[in-house]
Amino acid sequence: MAPTPEKPAHSDIPPTPDLAIEPDGTPEPVPTVSGLFGRAVDKISSIFALGFLLAMGILIFEIFMRHVFNSPTLWAHETTTFLSAIGFVFGGLYCASRNKHIRVVIIYDIAGPRFRRALDIGISIVCAISSGFFAWAAWLMVKRAAFKPGGDIHLETTGSAFNAPYPGLLKIFMLFVLIALTIQFVILTINYVRAKPDYAGANSGTGTGHD
Amino acid sequence: QEFTLKVQSSDAAGVPNFVIEQEWAARVGKMSGGRIAVEMLPVNSVVEHAETQDAIAAGIIDGHITDTSYFTGKDPAFGLIANPVGAWSAPSEMLRFVEYGGGKELMNEMLEPYGLHFIGAVTPGLEAFVSSKPLDGVADLKGLKMRAPEGMVQEVFAAAGASPVNIPQSEVFTSLDKKVIDAADATVFSTNQAMGLHDVAKHPVYPGFHSMPMLEVSVNKEKWDSMPEDLQTILEVSVRDLARDMDAQLAMKDMEAVAKARAEGGVTIHNWSAEERNKFRKIATSQWEKVAGRSENAQKVYDTLVKYLTAQGMI
Amino acid sequence: MFDLQSLGIEYGTLAMFVLLLGFLITGMPLAFVTLLIALIFTLGWFGPMAVPLITSRVYSFVSSFVFVSVPMFVMMAAILDRSGIAKDLFEAMRLFGGRLKGGVAVQTIFVAVILAAMSGIIGGEIVLLGLLALPQMLRQGYDKNLAIGVVCAGGSLGTMVPPSIVLIIYGLTANVSIGDLFTASFIPGFMLAGFYVAYVLFRSYTGDNIAPPPRTEKIPTEEKIRLLKGLFLPILVVICVLGSIYGGIASVTEASAVGVAGVVASTIVRREFSLSMLKAASLQTLSTCGMIVWIGIGASALVGVFNLMGGIKFVSALITGISDDPTIIILFMMLILFILGMFLDWVGIALLTMPIFVPIIKQLGYDPVWFGVLFAMNMQVSFLSPPFGPAAFYLKSVAPPDITLGTIFKALVPFICLQVLAVALLIIFPGITGR
Ligand code: NA
Ligand code: NA
Repeated sequence: MAPTPEKPAHSDIPPTPDLAIEPDGTPEPVPTVSGLFGRAVDKISSIFALGFLLAMGILIFEIFMRHVFNSPTLWAHETTTFLSAIGFVFGGLYCASRNKHIRVVIIYDIAGPRFRRALDIGISIVCAISSGFFAWAAWLMVKRAAFKPGGDIHLETTGSAFNAPYPGLLKIFMLFVLIALTIQFVILTINYVRAKPDYAGANSGTGTGHD
Repeated sequence: QEFTLKVQSSDAAGVPNFVIEQEWAARVGKMSGGRIAVEMLPVNSVVEHAETQDAIAAGIIDGHITDTSYFTGKDPAFGLIANPVGAWSAPSEMLRFVEYGGGKELMNEMLEPYGLHFIGAVTPGLEAFVSSKPLDGVADLKGLKMRAPEGMVQEVFAAAGASPVNIPQSEVFTSLDKKVIDAADATVFSTNQAMGLHDVAKHPVYPGFHSMPMLEVSVNKEKWDSMPEDLQTILEVSVRDLARDMDAQLAMKDMEAVAKARAEGGVTIHNWSAEERNKFRKIATSQWEKVAGRSENAQKVYDTLVKYLTAQGMI
Repeated sequence: MFDLQSLGIEYGTLAMFVLLLGFLITGMPLAFVTLLIALIFTLGWFGPMAVPLITSRVYSFVSSFVFVSVPMFVMMAAILDRSGIAKDLFEAMRLFGGRLKGGVAVQTIFVAVILAAMSGIIGGEIVLLGLLALPQMLRQGYDKNLAIGVVCAGGSLGTMVPPSIVLIIYGLTANVSIGDLFTASFIPGFMLAGFYVAYVLFRSYTGDNIAPPPRTEKIPTEEKIRLLKGLFLPILVVICVLGSIYGGIASVTEASAVGVAGVVASTIVRREFSLSMLKAASLQTLSTCGMIVWIGIGASALVGVFNLMGGIKFVSALITGISDDPTIIILFMMLILFILGMFLDWVGIALLTMPIFVPIIKQLGYDPVWFGVLFAMNMQVSFLSPPFGPAAFYLKSVAPPDITLGTIFKALVPFICLQVLAVALLIIFPGITGR
């Protein structure tokens, strides 16, 4: 993969491939049925992945501050919880784009290509509809977490001495991810409908979830 | 049945306080001649403890009996009114303020815009302090690594020289056991004892000096407004009785647990002198003003509280 | 709108299970099956205004501190897998278990117990063992089923060997001493691990092609020293993690971060460290955690909806109405736990059943600490039992593609039997808990 234009190549840092690396070390592309949108999700995924590393660093820092300097931070646990939560939520979208969610494929496996395509379409539609409902519900939740009853903007905070607006931010983030999830499933539906029967089945078979 | 109220508690199903709340629910049924059916749900059963306010507002559950300070993140005022550390040294003092000193009106002024109606306050009583180091006064708090929950308690202890660690309830036991922390703000003595906290932290301070949470009994405002006056009054009076019942039963349990702990030995119960308690109180009240500046409502809580305490000659 | 409330809670519950099973086998992603059923019942029972209940539960689930250790363990696994540490570790272990038939499988269980003492939750350990131990065992010619079973069952010990989040949550719910629970679960936890070891040895020595023949050739001393060097770094990491927990330096969750830092430091020492390796490991953590956590999200939402439907009252009445004989009530509870274990993950089961079971147990005069251990043992079964077996899913997320879910579940059957045996022994001989 060529380095992206806005990211000049650094001589001392080994070039990082744009594609995710699979456990066995080989890059695996986003399934084509996920469309451009799926690739966009993939592009920004490393930000959230690095959040886990940051969380680790913060916990180590907290242990250090508490044990060596006897001055524990008030923000470490809240912040790591927040970073992990962001990663978990985004991870759901990431797995949806990469077709990595676990499935039980008893019927799917014995189905012929036509039925398999019908299943793919049906599952994507149902997932799109439910994600849409959840996005709407998340909006109702955000309305309570981001605004005061009078209508002024006030992000819900943790209420601790550190009092970061993490609950408000996380709820807003959930709203965005659920909207993105809905869009992703709509795109999957469209692409499964468009695809020829034999093509759809073959393509969706790339996920780990499939037996 | 004319009204069904699903009320989520902040207590777990196996905790004595939950049983007391269930008994209250049964009494409401009897007092109303079956016109109100209250179903008590344990903590986290429908939504998580900090989410009940939103759930009631949305009409998902009908009410809650919960620590108002869980909603400090919505408005710092909730944290201040729920636990103005240093203000109360007995449940009756707090209950008088809520009932007659303007607390009730203030709670409703703050809660109604969120879609909730405040019926009344109850409290499990003064919380005992759990510590593995002997603590006999404010000076001993210096550098003490202690777990404190969200809300004002954390800031007060920081001001008193302790080092508050912000770990969740689920890690309190193991952290105390392995000496990751020296002390913890947990709950009342009997419950701390039952959970085995005194097995790993053998220097509890009882009676407590630091915290007495206000539990609010609130319901969805629309539902409340749709109730006839007689049922509203039944709920109000029954909550007033619940406050007395909870205080009495839990205080008895505390005293029983203390007597047992003394008889069995191994645990040294520390009781602070009036002088040390006053010292801590001074530090605590100095923090109120800080919180008051954080929101309009918090200022209102501060003004009402100070006015009441002054009138009563308590400060 | 369709009205489900008219079904009543009895048929409502039944409909829930049928729908769960029905959607599960269509091949719909599991996370979305439970979320969908939660949505259907929220809409049908309460109407659209109650849907935020589901998002509220999702929010609470992802933002709970206890799960912070899951990405840490997965990260540890992902980094170990990308460095030579894991390979060297298993090479070196040959020195000790090499003369025993089935030695590597036994050692995997041994490693699993150590990991269990390092963590209070499951997920990360199975991923770790699945990435490290499974390929090694398969490469050395172990029976696929035995290797899979050892990884899943061993990796699930995290909530049976103290510290355990299941026992902590039980203690908080039941108002019993968490210390007592940990002490009481000690022997049953090791007993279960012992069963696994016994089973591995039995199979290795009685079956054909189950385990590779023991090594007989002499290993030269220089080779021994070279191999032992491979043990040094992993043991140091383990000492750091266990030492920070038991030495009072870090809480259990924080200690998992110590593990990651230790593993990163080890790769630096071995000159295997690179930023791209770290990035790839993080991405794998994102993907694996997305799978693991989203499976729990749906179950947690579903339980919230069921409780709002009156599920607590219904199940409670069901149990107390079954018999006056306390033993039958206990057995019935085990049956409920077993069935729920087929459909929900432990968070959902704990949320649903603990508030119901604990008061009944106390009322019947049973020791709530003993029951807590029994509960934790039942959760061991629930991790493995199909169709909803989290341990199988976690392994599937990192196993080679030719290992299907069907293969995994088949491999788990004997291990589920061993767990059921442990449950039975706990009921017949409550003294195993030392109480
Ligand atoms: Na453990
Ligand atoms: Na299961």
